[in-house]
Amino acid sequence: MKGYYGQYGGQFVAETLIPALDELEEAFKAFKKNKAAKEELNRYLKDYAGRPTPLYLAKNLSNQLNINIYLKREDLLHSGAHKINNTLGQIILAKFMGKKRIIAETGAGQHGVATATAAALMGLECVIYMGEKDAERQRPNLLRMKLLGAEVRIVKKGSRTLKSAINEALRDWVKNIRTTHYLIGSVVGPYPFPQIVAYFQSVIGREARKQILSKQKSLPDAVIACVGGGSNAIGIFSGFLKDKTVKLYGVEAGGEGLELGKHSAALTKGRPGIMHGALSYLLQDDDGQVSLVHSISAGLDYPGVGPVHSFLKDSGRVKYGVCFDDEALEAFKMLSQLEGIIPALESSHALGYLIKNKEDFARKTVIVNLSGRGDKDLPILEGIYV
Amino acid sequence: MCRLGIYLVCNYPDREGFLRAVELCNRYGVDFLEIGLPFSDPTADGDVIEKASMEVLKRYRMADFLDSTKQARRIFNGRLYIMTYANIVFSYGIDRFAGDFGFIDGLILADVPYRESNRFKKPLSKKGIGFVYFATPESRQEELERLKRDANDFIYFVSIRGTTGGEFRLDDETKRKIEFLKGAKHKVILGFGIRNKQDIENACRYADGVVIGTAAVEAMRGDFETFLLSLRG
Repeated sequence: MKGYYGQYGGQFVAETLIPALDELEEAFKAFKKNKAAKEELNRYLKDYAGRPTPLYLAKNLSNQLNINIYLKREDLLHSGAHKINNTLGQIILAKFMGKKRIIAETGAGQHGVATATAAALMGLECVIYMGEKDAERQRPNLLRMKLLGAEVRIVKKGSRTLKSAINEALRDWVKNIRTTHYLIGSVVGPYPFPQIVAYFQSVIGREARKQILSKQKSLPDAVIACVGGGSNAIGIFSGFLKDKTVKLYGVEAGGEGLELGKHSAALTKGRPGIMHGALSYLLQDDDGQVSLVHSISAGLDYPGVGPVHSFLKDSGRVKYGVCFDDEALEAFKMLSQLEGIIPALESSHALGYLIKNKEDFARKTVIVNLSGRGDKDLPILEGIYV
Repeated sequence: MCRLGIYLVCNYPDREGFLRAVELCNRYGVDFLEIGLPFSDPTADGDVIEKASMEVLKRYRMADFLDSTKQARRIFNGRLYIMTYANIVFSYGIDRFAGDFGFIDGLILADVPYRESNRFKKPLSKKGIGFVYFATPESRQEELERLKRDANDFIYFVSIRGTTGGEFRLDDETKRKIEFLKGAKHKVILGFGIRNKQDIENACRYADGVVIGTAAVEAMRGDFETFLLSLRG
């Protein structure tokens, strides 16, 4: 069925949004066939964002863990994370559709910063919704968005995190449907958003596959990425999905433990449900009310997940596991001190999973998607390390 | 004759207050009721209904809502609809929902557009529950034609681009769309933004009826009887 990955996906939104989703789908199809638009995007990805990102052999970490570890350095991109791949793509798409106003939601702030960056570049009006709790714990990104000229609307109701920010962005979109493009930041939301975001992030996987073949003359044994909504994960996985010998691991936030409310591991502990436009695994109570969630990483603090990941879980192609807050912090510290790279707390979950399962990966070649850098997490880490 | 519908958040401000409001709606000739089952993430609702829903969720569970809705059915003589969000029904189990709520006349799901409605519609229709479709100012001609063909007893016309509780107004294009939908076996009911007698009179120049949500939920905390009387004049 159109817009579905197996049984997951769909367009569970207000009827008002359906023509806009159809318009978006048509524009996206035209965009993919439009040579000039694709060239424009590739030019910005290369000269502005800094692609291709390196695939770095982390020797010190590799020696420590007895694993051949490569890091896909999305943290080196302009604005500090893989999010810029998607925002540049969607901004050019929005221009293509003649939209003058961009709205977005943000959790950790990386998507908000990437959206504000791309909107500033293209001269579009930009409004970012951010939960009050996230605005407090990701203050540097809040300031960056404002400096980039975006209006940041702080959401003071609901969970005051990403979930509430998305609710408000959806409300804004319904009101301003004719002028506004909603620039969704992960592979979540109603179709065609999961497909659009996956398309713009697939550059990570294409590069990584080419790079590892060039460096090693063989494919890796495994690829590991963190999963909140799942955009960086699907981006890198897409380069290896057809390579059956490459094991793929998605790592969710185990938070403080696997009791409902203490984590945000939707694939690990959730069940199928409908939220924010799609049917996917969802953390919810017995009555279908969406649960409050927790992760030390604001970017993973979300009760749902992209529908494509739900499909990949059920099909068995990707194995999904968890990394707890303390394990992510340990990984964060280890990479910072062994390699001189301060990773985002999101990416630290992928590393933490590798570290805690190091015996399973011994002597194997593993690529970890380092989706972003950790500067934005300093307010969270200040209380722990200083 | 223009029909008047009232939207009430189930068990708001509490079970007794809710049932009293249902009783008053019956006494003063409200034509149909929409009972809102609260959801944690109500993206179609404005602040008033969202806040009421969050308050109710602190104290009541789905079993309580079922119980209160059954009670409302015994009190109210007009048509009775449930309005909620997809996950409430999906999580409950669509077949089980159709069985347990078999006494209602229709189901309105704010985040289920026409094209996603089949999985809900089929099990509901087996129990005689109609699935209510939305039309909006954004609806295109082919969608309006489909609605006119497939609608059950009413089409819910969302009068504004926005959430519940906004300001009521109809542009010319929207009036034409309402006019197109009218005249078949179903009614065209206008919702979103209608608050008072004047709005009702204005809306009823075009539609078969109205539903009042935000203003009714606000009134549930105060003098609901006076509020109802003010609507009929």
